[in-house]
Amino acid sequence: MTATEKWYEKSGEQGDVVISSRIRLARNLKNYPFPHLLSVQQKTEIAMKVKEALEQSNSYIAKEFQFISMSELSAAQTGSLMERHIISPEFANDRKGKYLLLTKDETVSIMINEEDHLRIQVLTEGLSLEKAYETADKIDTLLDNALGFAFHDKLGYLTQCPTNIGTGLRASVMLHLPSLQSSKVVERLKDNLSKIGLTLRGTFGEGTQALGGMYQLSNQVTLGISEETAIENLKSVAMQIIENERSVRSQFCKRTETQDYIMRCLGTLKYAVLMSNQESMKLLSAVRMGINEKLIEEDIAKVTKLMIILQPYTLIKNAEKELSPTQRDLLRAEMLKEALNQ
Amino acid sequence: MLCELCGKHQATTYSKTIINGEYTEMYLCSECAKAKGIGINNIFSQTATDFSSFLGSFFGGGLPSRTSATRCKSCGSAFTDIARSGKVGCAECYSNFYEELLPSIQKIHGNIQHRGKIPTGASAEVKRKRDIEKTKRELEQAVKEENFELAVKLRDKIKEMEGGGNHDSN
Ligand SMILES: [Zn+2]
Ligand SMILES: [Zn+2]
Repeated sequence: MTATEKWYEKSGEQGDVVISSRIRLARNLKNYPFPHLLSVQQKTEIAMKVKEALEQSNSYIAKEFQFISMSELSAAQTGSLMERHIISPEFANDRKGKYLLLTKDETVSIMINEEDHLRIQVLTEGLSLEKAYETADKIDTLLDNALGFAFHDKLGYLTQCPTNIGTGLRASVMLHLPSLQSSKVVERLKDNLSKIGLTLRGTFGEGTQALGGMYQLSNQVTLGISEETAIENLKSVAMQIIENERSVRSQFCKRTETQDYIMRCLGTLKYAVLMSNQESMKLLSAVRMGINEKLIEEDIAKVTKLMIILQPYTLIKNAEKELSPTQRDLLRAEMLKEALNQ
Repeated sequence: MLCELCGKHQATTYSKTIINGEYTEMYLCSECAKAKGIGINNIFSQTATDFSSFLGSFFGGGLPSRTSATRCKSCGSAFTDIARSGKVGCAECYSNFYEELLPSIQKIHGNIQHRGKIPTGASAEVKRKRDIEKTKRELEQAVKEENFELAVKLRDKIKEMEGGGNHDSN
């Protein structure tokens, strides 16, 4: 295995349900207004300061970063970064003055001039929030020492939107919940979670349309709660959901009808000639569940990877040429065939 | 990610709005965004109607009775600018409009006191303030005891400490 393996190419702790963990810290430099009041020139100035701060630190991680000017990327490259969860959809809009620092393994990214000057993000496979926070915390301290982040005695780290002040921390886990989705438990769960300051939303879509049964569980409250407690809370709720999904899943997969459905999904993935993203997500979700329930013998990480790399922009980016929707569906089916018929 | 309204197209626009008094984030495709009047570059500019309720709910009817001429010395934002756009102008705005912002902060987080990480620089600053306070109390005590020699020393020490956070005393 190479050192530049991405988070979606390996399976981590609680990997049957948890795809990845993400920590995001919102930070702003003291002496500049927030990005919406900055000129492109000022934005570039900030980006250079951040880049320099990293380069001049003696941290081993600093050498891993690539510096990307967002306005120089193609639409497919930008879209693919979004599909791989490296940047937010907002960051993909109006890319002038926006910059990205990204490590080779795509674990750490720093969005410069999104809603805040800095969004430090760490993405790791499986349930690994503490590990991800540890990395984010180190980078935060390193950059703070060099740049000086805006901080208020009572309100903590200051951000453009008051919803992020305090810790500026958004922790989330990506969960594969095909059973809770199809048994409609997810909808009830959402309401209950919002009462305790957490949200559950579709990763690739919303509500019952959450593509591939993928959901994102995150904290909402950032003021009045420590980073450790916020992560602890999120983790304990995630564990409850994981246990729930597992028990429904095993019940579900004992039924002959479910087994038949899962194997048909695998058959379609292996032999179809045209495959849309929506369909491939749905079928891969079922197959992923089948692997976890030992109905199918296949590498789980391979399936997760397919869900990520077969998305439209990433497909185009990797093909390095424009593809019509039909060409995409053709290529997607080919790649599935090749991956699953080995 | 797919558009959260139609669920059909790739989401390209990120929007924050108030729906039923709840602050919500949404990811929309370009068509739905256009239909909702949300532009790519300024997602707030064309949603003035949404933001009248924003004023009411997010900033808790907390529009200040003081003159709207009060502006942040650092970025020039007036509180009405912040309430209208939903965007705080700069870090200083939080100090300048602290009272006005507090009700909405309380509403969002159910809390108004940070309990998380403190940056090393800020903790030094907090410590410096605490030290100055302590030395001032010592000075008061010295004057009361008519220990003027010590009082002069303490006064100079305070001056030096207040002079800047960069150089340490002694
Ligand atoms: Zn749409
Ligand atoms: Zn300001």
